[in-house]
Amino acid sequence: MSYESDLPETSSYSPTAVAISAVGGIALALVSVWWAAGTAVFYEGLFRISPTVDGGGVGTDWVVGNTVPWLDFLIAFIHAADVLMGLFILLMVFVHWGAFRRLAAQMQDPEEERREAVATDGGETE
Amino acid sequence: MTNLDHGKFTRVTTTFHSLLALDVFLLFFTGYSLTFNDELWWLLTLMGGAEGVTALHRVAGFGLISLIGFWAILMLTTDTGRSNFRAIVPTGDDVRAFIQDVQFVLGNADERHPNAKQFAGGDHESIPLLSYIGKGVVFIFAIELFLLTISGLLIWSKTGLMQYFGTKTAAMAFVVFHGLLGVIMLMGVMFHVFEHGFHPAFYPVEPKAFIPRELIPETHADGDISDLTLAPSWNTVSNVMGALTVVGIVSVMIGSIFDEGYPVPRELTVGGGPEHLLLTVGINAGIFVLFVGLVLSMYGNLLRVRWERRLEEERESGRTTATDGGTPDD
Repeated sequence: MSYESDLPETSSYSPTAVAISAVGGIALALVSVWWAAGTAVFYEGLFRISPTVDGGGVGTDWVVGNTVPWLDFLIAFIHAADVLMGLFILLMVFVHWGAFRRLAAQMQDPEEERREAVATDGGETE
Repeated sequence: MTNLDHGKFTRVTTTFHSLLALDVFLLFFTGYSLTFNDELWWLLTLMGGAEGVTALHRVAGFGLISLIGFWAILMLTTDTGRSNFRAIVPTGDDVRAFIQDVQFVLGNADERHPNAKQFAGGDHESIPLLSYIGKGVVFIFAIELFLLTISGLLIWSKTGLMQYFGTKTAAMAFVVFHGLLGVIMLMGVMFHVFEHGFHPAFYPVEPKAFIPRELIPETHADGDISDLTLAPSWNTVSNVMGALTVVGIVSVMIGSIFDEGYPVPRELTVGGGPEHLLLTVGINAGIFVLFVGLVLSMYGNLLRVRWERRLEEERESGRTTATDGGTPDD
């Protein structure tokens, strides 16, 4: 494109590499989904919970009838990870929120600029 | 548009970022309207109920695997890609940047560490490609997306998973694990939206991730942040978005502790109880933050299109007026 002609040369990715990666990515997705789906992709209906099912049917919590102890652990672990990461992310939000407020205080006040604009016709600025 | 030392990513990176964002937002909207279906019943209904949403979720999942595969191959097969690995490895400076950020907020430091700066002013050489937050985002999101893809593929076909584990509850447990795992990323993306949308110098969106470096001239702004004018709406909007981000993060975190049954009941039930009303409002606040992120991502691309058009106009006028020795106006 014309407007790019006199812009600086920057190292980028070659179109061939991009094309090969794109084909590779789609191929990976196709193989993964083919492997995961087996012969039946849409079996959601089979497992949809009916809230009326009593006492340990498909409709109850996954814990009921679970016989795999490490799945219990996995879910307890991810609960802990959610809470710990959540608190950490909250800390990050507050640190950045605070930093942004300090940075904003260093910037020009929008009101100030309006006053300066008035000053061009001879008015006085503070 | 100000020239704020931005133009650090290639065109491929910026395009990839936008596509990944779109895909991940779709995965969030579909996945969490299932997990938090009693709080987000309207979203679930809007996208075609449980059947429609699971189909959309799978389509987006396919897209995610394609994007991950594309990026992994590109990073490994190209020199530019491999050279970037050095730039994303966290260093001691990143830890110092975090500590200095806390000091900065408390008023004990005068400025942010170079590894924390999004606004670089005139001194662009000392500012790394990614801030310490950027490096964290790359690592945490990469690990999360990988684990989510693996667990997502495992539960793609529940009957397939049951062949491995022998029980339905094991398959259901994997669904729960997948949903809970995504909560970390959901909270991270809310923070990501806040961090890159509401920096006072870049408000309403930081253009770094949208305007590729080949389109940014090598000259950099001389001044520092005190030369810039704050947008009149920044104060109000950043406070509202900050509050919504905090409420959203807290709510999905609490929701993730309660919601661990199989995600979608056959008949939708809107949860009851006053404490649940709070959670419903909070989770919807979080989803609103994601919607804002989606809009800002589109706005970033709009900025790129405008920027390209302006560059083109400058080239055009440069050719016509500069012939007689005049300099084209800005």
